Amino acid sequence: MKRLIIHVVLVLLATQSLAALGQTETQRDAVTTITWWHSNSGLAGKAAETLVDDFNNTVGKEKNIQVQAVYQGKANDVLTKAKAIWQSSDTSDLPDLVQLDGSAVLDIRDNPNLIAMEDLAKADGYDLSQIMEAARLSITYKQEMIAMPFNSSTILLYYNKTAFDEVGITTPPRTLDDLAEVATKLKKTDDKGKVIRYGFANVPTTYELMVWLGQQNGLSYITDFENGHTGNPTKVLFHENGTMVNFLTKWKALYATGSLENLTSDLNGAFASGRVVMIVASTSNLTTIHSMVGDRFEVGVAPFPMVDEKATGGVNVGGGAIYALNNGSHNESAAWEFVKFATSAKQQYAWHIATGYFPVHRDTYTMPEFQAHLEANPHYGVAIKQLLDSNPKLQGLWVPSAYQIYYAFQSGILKMLTENKSPEQTSKELETEINSYFAEFQRMQQE
Amino acid sequence: MKKVTAFVATVFSLIVVFPIFYSISASFFTYTDFTSIPARLLPSRPTLENYYRAFKESNLEQFLANSLVTASLGTALRMVISILAAYTFSFFTFKGRDVLFVLIVATMLLPSDALLLANYSTIRSLRLTDTYVGIISTTLLAPTHIFMLRQYFKTVSSEYREAALIEGCSDVRFLTTLLIPISKAVVITLAIHSFSTIFNDYLWPLLVTNKESMRTVQVGLTMLGFSENLDYGPQFAAITLLITPILIAFIAMHKPIQTSVSTRFAGR
Amino acid sequence: MKKKPASLIKPYVLILPALALAVVFAYRPFILTLLNSLHTVSLQGQRLSFVGLENYQRLFANQSFQASLSNTLRFTLYFVPTNLIVCLGAALLSNRKGRLATLNQVFFFLPMAVGLSSSMMILKMMFNPSIGIINQLFNTDIQWFNDKRAAMALLVIAGVYLDIGLNFLLLQAALRNVPSELHEVATIEGANGFQVFRYLQAPLIAPTFVFVLMTNIKDAMLISSPVLILTEGGPFRSTQTLVYQMYLEGFKSGNYAMGSAIATVVFLLTFTVLLLLLHLERRRVYYQ
Repeated sequence: MKRLIIHVVLVLLATQSLAALGQTETQRDAVTTITWWHSNSGLAGKAAETLVDDFNNTVGKEKNIQVQAVYQGKANDVLTKAKAIWQSSDTSDLPDLVQLDGSAVLDIRDNPNLIAMEDLAKADGYDLSQIMEAARLSITYKQEMIAMPFNSSTILLYYNKTAFDEVGITTPPRTLDDLAEVATKLKKTDDKGKVIRYGFANVPTTYELMVWLGQQNGLSYITDFENGHTGNPTKVLFHENGTMVNFLTKWKALYATGSLENLTSDLNGAFASGRVVMIVASTSNLTTIHSMVGDRFEVGVAPFPMVDEKATGGVNVGGGAIYALNNGSHNESAAWEFVKFATSAKQQYAWHIATGYFPVHRDTYTMPEFQAHLEANPHYGVAIKQLLDSNPKLQGLWVPSAYQIYYAFQSGILKMLTENKSPEQTSKELETEINSYFAEFQRMQQE
Repeated sequence: MKKVTAFVATVFSLIVVFPIFYSISASFFTYTDFTSIPARLLPSRPTLENYYRAFKESNLEQFLANSLVTASLGTALRMVISILAAYTFSFFTFKGRDVLFVLIVATMLLPSDALLLANYSTIRSLRLTDTYVGIISTTLLAPTHIFMLRQYFKTVSSEYREAALIEGCSDVRFLTTLLIPISKAVVITLAIHSFSTIFNDYLWPLLVTNKESMRTVQVGLTMLGFSENLDYGPQFAAITLLITPILIAFIAMHKPIQTSVSTRFAGR
Repeated sequence: MKKKPASLIKPYVLILPALALAVVFAYRPFILTLLNSLHTVSLQGQRLSFVGLENYQRLFANQSFQASLSNTLRFTLYFVPTNLIVCLGAALLSNRKGRLATLNQVFFFLPMAVGLSSSMMILKMMFNPSIGIINQLFNTDIQWFNDKRAAMALLVIAGVYLDIGLNFLLLQAALRNVPSELHEVATIEGANGFQVFRYLQAPLIAPTFVFVLMTNIKDAMLISSPVLILTEGGPFRSTQTLVYQMYLEGFKSGNYAMGSAIATVVFLLTFTVLLLLLHLERRRVYYQ
């Protein structure tokens, strides 16, 4: 028994000392180590590694800063982990930098551990207007830029050009009405009447809905407090301002064509297999979709469909940003150096080439290599033009209970379609449900 | 009749094994094999690239090491704690024995999955996140093991222990030289079961580890993160690598495993 | 024999680790969870003000919770019988002699060798509607992840796959313990397979069967990891289960009060069902 205990203790000691050994190596050179938690996998993961290596070998070497990038899973998982730490009393385990997406905003923007990127930029005398306005505004809270946009994307319409040619469609649809028309032509059924090819597949996610609602009438807000950018939203506006009803009416008409499939997952797969002719997806999926489709058919991209002719707001910038956290190490200026590097014109160009994300630095767009790249890859050109033509004030939705709201939208819209409810009723019900989530959130804030 | 049974059983068992077969096959797929329509069963041109990538593009060895350490450590500690408790409850009489026994075994009804939130904050305040101890802490108490071991020990005549005491034999010696060898089958089965349960745990290690260096292989596997691009190759290679040794062990040891399970139940 | 004071405390010392663990990782968290569910809790996890059963009222009125409850109960209802039939069927079918039987048996418990997340990922790929092998092999077009019923069916399949290894072993062992002489006598007396099962095997394997039944029910009520990896609660929340929602509320939304309330409901449910079963077992099961 005693021997067993001794054995066990020895094993524990051994493993602990091994871990400690690993750490002393890096502390020897009095180098500032910055930890960066990110959610980049696959191609983006490789690009992130390259970025970090580049930094460590250039600016990092000069200024004695080394960045340690840790992949923590999907953006949501990164948030879960970070949250678990800052909710406890000991925050020394927080990383210096963390890459999060829109779902994290509510948790982090009022967080005492957050160091606003704008403050870091000011301390360095960095002119923030070098960052693209739409990207910058997308991450602004109460007029302050709280993080640095990093992996920015918008949304596109992908279509099967070969199928279009087959049916004689020459231009991709511009509005939802066009979409319905085109989808009808593309529908294919087998002899038993079962649909074997759908024109379009989608159940609107919060992000897509946000664009479809927000773009109406040039610019429209979904909730009060400017979609959560100037304070905690207390109620939704999409019902009173009629944008939801307008959208739902068009959507219902689309469904009535019988050519809309209510898919919530595996959209890329359905598209690549030829079963669905059009989908909407992030610009960051461009490379993936191309490699999935291979040479089965020709892929085309087009701007995200407008709800109607008056919906000129365009699209907004989505994707993630890098946030700086205070973990008691006082490494903020070193962290800022990395952020500055990562969002510089040249690095953003390389990042774009490798991942398809938008360059956030203005100067990338005037680089000759970039122009040449756009010419050689017109698909990227479409995405960028769409963004530049959009209203930069079209900002993302910063709301609590994001998961619940996502399901509320999806179930609500599905019910409307399958139970033949009216757009007005659906819109009202969504308003009630989502307002209740806001109220719940307020209750948790009271203290 | 016998032939029909045999046929049905064989077909059925092949269905059950099919996913394992598929994953081994898929570990040799090329990227286009995964996305091919119609879906492929066998690789078009078998490639070892996935295996190479699984190791190169992730910390697979580290994850594996972590899983092995936590599973071994956890199993060892669990067995020690369970055996000690079961031994005490079956051979000793002391005040409150039955109440305490029920208290310990009743925790079976308080499954740790439902206690996640509270346990997590306990571990956090004990500063045990990202540690091996933190990962195994919630699995160390195995009420079912204690229950079953006690059931089994009770069938061992108390005369053995009285004799041992008279001979001046200490508890430890009694345990190690007599009781455990007699209960070998049960202990081994429980140990195997513990090992595989701890090795396979997903949700708890996911929450308790933030550092990639501490990740277990089950969590690390899902973070090989290529599934959005349908680039499943490295994941399947990792899965195959993971299950192969265990598969071989199971197949080789199938007789002992089966007989030990039946012995356990016969020993009531 | 006079007992030395040391030997008086010895038993307590020996069971101390188990007791301590039980308190720290089972009882204390349980009480804390219960407490949390009766208060409002801040995003930092601090208990704020006592609100009695208000959280529960709000919980039961919450659509998402109603969905979780219904899904979990339905899942349990579909899963437990399916799993029992599959595992018992496998055990009975392979309860023969000979090399082929041994091969069958090994195949049946092999899934135990594949870990949870590995199994889930294999299934996720196999059941992919467009490029998965299942739709290809059976020439079907089932939208496994997009159709509510298919997704639930997939979850049941996943659950069975996870449990079959161990359940098969247990049931097979129990079957083997049926004395073969009795089996032979019954067959000589002219009983067919079905009668042998009903009158001979069933009563004798009943204790094991009940054990398997109970653990299956417990596992079904608590199912979370397959939901996390395979379906993420979709489509349209149709596979969102209680523990999964607890994870969402507690860890993702930081709503500890609600998470704790859900946890308490899960306990009560599981506890009640298991108690009922124990009661039934006591009255109807035959022990050797």
